[in-house]
Amino acid sequence: MSQLIPAVGFGLITASILCIAAVGFTLQFSVTNILNLAYGDIMTACAFAAYLANHAGVNIWLSMVIAALFGAVFSLAINRFVYFQFVRRGTRLFGMIIVTIAMSLIIQNVLLAIFRPTFFSYKASPGPSYDLGGMIFTASQLAIIGIAVASMLAVHLISTRTKLGKAMRATATNPSLARSCGIATDTVIDAAWLLSGALCGIAGVALVLNTATFSEVTGATFLVPIIAAAILGGIGQPYGAMLGALTIGLASEIAASVISPSYKDVVAFVILIVVLLVRPQGILSEVASAKEVAA
Amino acid sequence: MSDSMQFYISTLVIYLFIDIIGVLGLNLQFGVAGIINFAYIVFVAVGAYTAAVLSLGPDYPGNFQHYVFGASWPFPLPILAAGAVSGALSLVVGVISLRRLRSDYQAMVMLVLSLIATLIATNATGLVNGPAGLATIPQPLYDWLNLDSLTYQWVYAGWCAFLTLIIFVFVRGITNSPLGRALRAMRDNDRAAAALGKNVTAMRLMIFVVGGAIAGISGAVFVEFIQAWSPGSWLYPETFVFLAAILVGGAANNWGVMLGTLLVPVGFLEATRFLPQIFYNGFIEAMQWVCVGLLILAFLWFRPSGLIPERPGRFRAHPETPPVPAE
Repeated sequence: MSQLIPAVGFGLITASILCIAAVGFTLQFSVTNILNLAYGDIMTACAFAAYLANHAGVNIWLSMVIAALFGAVFSLAINRFVYFQFVRRGTRLFGMIIVTIAMSLIIQNVLLAIFRPTFFSYKASPGPSYDLGGMIFTASQLAIIGIAVASMLAVHLISTRTKLGKAMRATATNPSLARSCGIATDTVIDAAWLLSGALCGIAGVALVLNTATFSEVTGATFLVPIIAAAILGGIGQPYGAMLGALTIGLASEIAASVISPSYKDVVAFVILIVVLLVRPQGILSEVASAKEVAA
Repeated sequence: MSDSMQFYISTLVIYLFIDIIGVLGLNLQFGVAGIINFAYIVFVAVGAYTAAVLSLGPDYPGNFQHYVFGASWPFPLPILAAGAVSGALSLVVGVISLRRLRSDYQAMVMLVLSLIATLIATNATGLVNGPAGLATIPQPLYDWLNLDSLTYQWVYAGWCAFLTLIIFVFVRGITNSPLGRALRAMRDNDRAAAALGKNVTAMRLMIFVVGGAIAGISGAVFVEFIQAWSPGSWLYPETFVFLAAILVGGAANNWGVMLGTLLVPVGFLEATRFLPQIFYNGFIEAMQWVCVGLLILAFLWFRPSGLIPERPGRFRAHPETPPVPAE
């Protein structure tokens, strides 16, 4: 019991980071119908953008904003110059998944070529520690949880209260119907990439702040729990992704403290397998069924 | 030719044949049946580990490496066992991930599997010796043949060529048969194939297992040659070298993918290995991977059917079928 409460604390932090990342991943999928396997590497690229800013003397939280902006622009550029070109040529889903993994390979190794194979860390102090009912958080970890809650609130408000959010949901449900109703779906898709890229950037910096060091494969490795959270919640469902992130974050940290820290991601994988066997469309299944990911 | 040159050439020939075996297996899954297996290298790795532990002999206390199921089976049993174990693993993976899922969704799950497999092999140190991996795996029949090491290399190259021929004939038997046509029909339109009475789930699973078994055999032959195997040898991007070979050569064309193997894993990656190290150690390797990615994108963009495209199906009208009357 004594080790369970701190584990829940770690779980909340992991869940917060996972939440931001998984919502970005799933939001972009719901609108564009592309499973972007380069997502983890875009995250790494954002972490490096923040690293450059941070080591140029910028405060770490401001660096996170820079990373979010960089992520938004970078994601948009990848879609405009690569993915969208292939889609327009008629590349089907079968081909698109290969295009995204090729992009992942390219981004990861360009980063490796530029920054060299070594580990990096930010110049930031974790701040004082607080004990909240047995769970110990540093100030920056509390900030990460706060940022996650704020981002989720922002995603919720954007998708329910703004015209853009409604257009996004319409495009996600039925793109051709949305287009015939006068929604500029190309603009909506651009907006989805911007939003998901910004979330990706925030998640990337938060991840590195929590793990202290990172390298060119950090994001790619984190892709396992992101995918597991998105699939568990029901792919294409932001609320499902939040639920999935919370489950996987808590489960993996508790397993890490009870079994062994090296099996954190294995828990995510086991959950993924169970979901695929029992309910491949996930908990909230509307989008998954509409896009026929699991018949 | 100098001895060192002969060593190098024979090694390249061995690599070429082993890569061809691996690519033929992936081509069955990807090119012929349309299954995107981003975890293909895992099945190669499992075959390699199987062959390694079955030829290393039983583990003993005080051994410098630790592993499970150690035995010293005579050649060629470890290779057959490798095929069987990889095939069995493919069956398990296939049952979980192949049914009822969209192709890109399956691919994503496979990628996750590849990442997790590396994690398990690295962290479960008792299984196959963790991150250090296995070493000093005996080469088959080395003592019995009693040859000098250069002649042995050429004998091994001959053995690989023989095995490649067997696999090629076997794969060709599948692709040229009615089953091959059914698989291609399933790849192009699985609902239509199902409507014509083909059991697409069973076919998909069957070809996934056959491809996985071939992967295991290629891994086994490889590990018996290089005598060492560790998680670093089969990180998930390795699958994309095979995939690039298939896309460059021509998916679903057995000759095409063999040409692709000659060009990508052997030609391109070997030729660039001799470039002088610039900037720092490891820069060339990173750029090699960038090029593999660019190669995949370039071929998908400019020549999606590859250098030697798949032959279109040809149908002869049945002699007794009367021509359709014009309306």
